[in-house]
Amino acid sequence: MSEVEALLLREARLLDEQRYAEWLELFADDGIYWIPTRPNQESPQEALSIIYEPKSLLAVRVERLSRREMHVQSPPSRTVHHVSAVEVNGDEAQSALIVAEWRAGESRFFAGRVLHRFRRGPKGLQITLKRVDLIDGEAPHRAIAVPL
Amino acid sequence: MHRAAYTDPALFALEQERIFRRAWLYIGHESEVPKPGDHVLTRLGPDEVILARREDGGLSLLHNRCAHRGARVVSEPCAHARQLRCPYHAWSYRLDGSLIGVPLAEGYAKETKLPGLAAVPRVESYRGFVFASQAATGPSLSDFLGGLRSAFDNLVDRAPAGTLTRFGGSLRLEYRGNWKMFLENAVDLVHPGFVHKSSVDAARAHPEALNGDAVTQQGAQMFLANGMRATQWDEVPLHAFPGGHVYMGGFYKQGMIAPEREDPVFARYRKALVERHGEEKTAAVLSVDRFNNIIWPNISVNARFGAMRIVRPLAVDHTVVDVVCFKLDGAPAEMHELTLQFVNLAASPASLVASDDWEIFERCQRGLGDPGNEWIDMGRGVLADQRHSDGSIVSGGTSELPIRHQFATWKSWMGL
Repeated sequence: MSEVEALLLREARLLDEQRYAEWLELFADDGIYWIPTRPNQESPQEALSIIYEPKSLLAVRVERLSRREMHVQSPPSRTVHHVSAVEVNGDEAQSALIVAEWRAGESRFFAGRVLHRFRRGPKGLQITLKRVDLIDGEAPHRAIAVPL
Repeated sequence: MHRAAYTDPALFALEQERIFRRAWLYIGHESEVPKPGDHVLTRLGPDEVILARREDGGLSLLHNRCAHRGARVVSEPCAHARQLRCPYHAWSYRLDGSLIGVPLAEGYAKETKLPGLAAVPRVESYRGFVFASQAATGPSLSDFLGGLRSAFDNLVDRAPAGTLTRFGGSLRLEYRGNWKMFLENAVDLVHPGFVHKSSVDAARAHPEALNGDAVTQQGAQMFLANGMRATQWDEVPLHAFPGGHVYMGGFYKQGMIAPEREDPVFARYRKALVERHGEEKTAAVLSVDRFNNIIWPNISVNARFGAMRIVRPLAVDHTVVDVVCFKLDGAPAEMHELTLQFVNLAASPASLVASDDWEIFERCQRGLGDPGNEWIDMGRGVLADQRHSDGSIVSGGTSELPIRHQFATWKSWMGL
């Protein structure tokens, strides 16, 4: 298994085990987490995004996930992030993602393709971009509380 | 109010007929169909309609239902064509809905007069915002909007070129709850301290975000604004107008959101605005101190951030909210980016703020299905309502005035 593949699997495990602070540390300081609404959206300036957050805002998101008063995570979600079809190309990796989520008696699924970009720094390989293109980014969604 | 207003499917069906098939509803913006032949699919209450720009420059609003066998004629959300043709038996229509022709026309009895696409009887624009009503008669759009025309005025007046352009697509979110909960909650200023506590506390734990880039700063400011104390919220007055419309004002006064920013982009924007309006009017436009403007029955306008939410009831316990935004024509491009980013953070299904609102709506819907207490009290602050000479009622921010006011309007439209 390549170093990049191992990182993608580690990321999936951290999210499924709700180790969000460790997940945040996978991102470079200038890292971006992006879930666009449109397929083939070229930039966050072109259209609205379900999430477009630099690490500074992602840190607030992760902080909130640790708070008991986060009603939309009371009770918390259980998830499986299923990562497959990984293609590594230089400092980029493309993959297919299916997230199964169960919360408060109901199940739902997210599916999409993911683009990761990496940079090697003093802390090893770090994520500079994680972009999740959902197959239904334009469709109505109920509250999305945990990172995909 | 009896809990049935939120839970009874029969009352929901009545709402669709008496409110959503009669009232003036927002259907789109003129900038979505700039050229003759442009048309978009949109919704008018429960019905899917085609908003089209005709050859004569006027707007048509047509039911998306072939006059022949009922098939949806248009399936593309947004397209350009000189005529509309049904995919089933190729009946074709002009953009005013009139019938151009049908195959095998010679086979019909001579006296047969075949219909065109049904047109919605009343379509009007207010400063570029297009509304329609399925009632052939009734108050004009201007009278319907009444005291809240000012919400659109303020939004358009903020554009240095005097016009807006819808951009950025939309964010769409849904919750398993009644549509009225959204309107009530958007002007309920007691809930933020409880419902949004987790995002307030998270932002407080990251004070460095207030000194981050423009996007991060704007986001942190928005999260923190929900952390005001109850006495401060009371200083954000609620203004209710005839027709069920309500706005909240007073955030600038509280110092939670700055009316103007101090950065080179905003300075360029302000200069362009002064060129259009002069200094005095520019200052007046920028200092309009409002957050949500709720136009009954189903939209919320935020002029300061160029955003609008449209509430679409699907069933008594199922609602979709579409969030759209507007470019201030003539403003620097960086302003448009901040608009998008504000809307992403405030209104996306993944918003740190709004997601807790949806959760609470779903909990209310489940709870209201339980007959434990049949009646819902909404009397908080009733002793302090102040009636003004312009017909408006004003209360402190912690009053339930908006809910009482919205239900009084609801009862009148429902004929109850």
